[in-house]
Amino acid sequence: MRLITVILVIFLVPILGRLVWLQVIARAEWKEENDLLLDRPYGLPAPPPGVIMDRNGDLLVGNSPTYVVGAEVALVGDALAAAQELAPLLGRDVAGLQADLSVTDRRWVRLAWAVSGEAGKRLEDIKADKWYWLTLEPTWERYYAEGDLASHTIGFSNDAGYGYGVEAFHHRLIKPQPAMAQGSVDAASEPFPDELAQGKLRAFAGTDLRLTIDRTIQAFVQGELSRALAEYGAYGGTILVMNPRTGEILAVASSPAYDPARQSQYPESQRNLFVDPSISVPYEPGSVFKVITAAAAVDSGRIGRDWSYFDSGVLEYGGVVIRNSDRQAHGTQDLQGLLSSSLNVGAATLTTQVLGADLFYRYVRAFGFGQLTGVDLTAEVAGFVHLPTDWDWTDSTLATNSFGQGIAVTPLQMVTAVSALANHGTMMAPYVVAERRYPDGSVVPTTPRALGQPISRETADYIAELMGHNVADRYDKARVPGYGMAGKSGTAQIPVSGGYDPVEVVTSFIGFGPLPEPEFVILVKLDRPQIEPYLRWGTQTAAPVFQSVAARLFVLLGIAPTEAVGEQ
Amino acid sequence: MSVAWQQSTHGVQRRKEQINQVTARAFVVSIVLATLLMGGYLALGAANVRLSNEVWSLHNAMAQIQRDNSRLETEIARLSSIPVLQVRSVALGFAPAESIDYLRLGTP
Repeated sequence: MRLITVILVIFLVPILGRLVWLQVIARAEWKEENDLLLDRPYGLPAPPPGVIMDRNGDLLVGNSPTYVVGAEVALVGDALAAAQELAPLLGRDVAGLQADLSVTDRRWVRLAWAVSGEAGKRLEDIKADKWYWLTLEPTWERYYAEGDLASHTIGFSNDAGYGYGVEAFHHRLIKPQPAMAQGSVDAASEPFPDELAQGKLRAFAGTDLRLTIDRTIQAFVQGELSRALAEYGAYGGTILVMNPRTGEILAVASSPAYDPARQSQYPESQRNLFVDPSISVPYEPGSVFKVITAAAAVDSGRIGRDWSYFDSGVLEYGGVVIRNSDRQAHGTQDLQGLLSSSLNVGAATLTTQVLGADLFYRYVRAFGFGQLTGVDLTAEVAGFVHLPTDWDWTDSTLATNSFGQGIAVTPLQMVTAVSALANHGTMMAPYVVAERRYPDGSVVPTTPRALGQPISRETADYIAELMGHNVADRYDKARVPGYGMAGKSGTAQIPVSGGYDPVEVVTSFIGFGPLPEPEFVILVKLDRPQIEPYLRWGTQTAAPVFQSVAARLFVLLGIAPTEAVGEQ
Repeated sequence: MSVAWQQSTHGVQRRKEQINQVTARAFVVSIVLATLLMGGYLALGAANVRLSNEVWSLHNAMAQIQRDNSRLETEIARLSSIPVLQVRSVALGFAPAESIDYLRLGTP
């Protein structure tokens, strides 16, 4: 017995000693070696980024499964044979591929970035059959189901989140959280069971976004913009459609635009195409701004419905001479006449003799000019409003600002401000994301938010009424039979160094309908139309486009006529 | 006479053997228990490995289903996109509505 005990002790003591050595004394050293051998990052294939849908749930941006294909070059045998077989699948030339497969200074090379799912499956078969040195990393590529539809609104973003449109604004939501972890893996880079048991792998797909954009309206509006640009030879333009009751943007088309699927292929010199003209490029609005001036004057209480002035055709103020666009004197005019004939002298009279600078700019700010609207799109700018406290503001600025000169606004700011007139004085915050659908199934709708109430309900309804008479009596090219419409045209000179371009203009038309409860506001803006100079007016170019868009909107939104045809 | 001899031929030796038998039984029982425990541990470990592999496979299968789902989604989106629908509509003989008139019904 004792002998057995002695033998056991003789054998057990060295084993125990070795265990103590490995587990306690030299633990750190062995742990380090173990980590070097086995501790690797591992993960599941990346979950898909969030998709983007239109307001009806139709897919605008989805995800195509693709592969990043590489090779463990040290294990490649016949590089030429491999290149010849792989080239058509990877979309590469044989010589280039052979060169990549023959490199000696690296262990692994990337052969192709985004190989389609079908080619990827064939490559997986090839890998399983013979070329185990191929590596295929599943990844995703954005798929634009409607091509360049709403490209500025949708936009794109890089991995760091820089980019344009909704994609960049909501990058952190859309981007998926990959299931990656660090731990012990086996030879196939698959985690050890105890790693999985710790529950480290949790992949979250990106959040889906449902937009306020209606793809049918958007397609029609884009088509109308293209048609208008071709018809009038305009260099660019914007058509924006918004619901004034909620601030939902139903459609926004701008030119120039781009194809988001090919955005990485645009040369540096064309990268300005990515800038969204509707939120990032301010312009002088011209006479459409007179509705803001008129609303401010009425709301201030300084003029009533019986207000009138004598239009001599000229007003000198602050060292500048203001003239009407037709260079005519119009005699005694009321507010309706001012808006219908788009009288610069009348508008300047309101700011210089009725409102004064403090009151006028208080209203300009209340309508949101010179400030961001807060729309959920990247790279919105605030425009330019010169205030009396600014060094470059002069008395003449007060006069010219009244008819939209010397002030720069974005198309979205203009639509947002006029939506207050269409929505009984309440100005709603514009937005394009109607709903966020999180990967856990929860749905968070966007709640419409009021930006403020720049004018009273009575003032808004009164100005809308005046704008309604405008369309009914003056703008036959903007009328839609059967519907009460309100609108105002604008023809703005383009500022250049040292003054204004003597020839080029920006023509626009902004309006809403159907009265008395408007369901949409439309802005049509055309940059530098190249038609006969005497036709370069908002009434001649932008108004017909407005009419066409409004007529189709009534059909697409299912809005029944509000008036008998011929009533107007 | 050696002690060992005495233990094997006298009464003292029998009492000692009885004690050794108890020790031996305890030892055997402890060995059996240890074996059972180790067997249980091994069975549990094996089950863990099997389940972990299953979890890993399910993870990968889920990822593959997600990819197939996305591929089908994009295919449906392509087939129901406006340009494709327009082409199909024209092929079926539909034409854009140029003039839309509403029929107004008087109140009865």
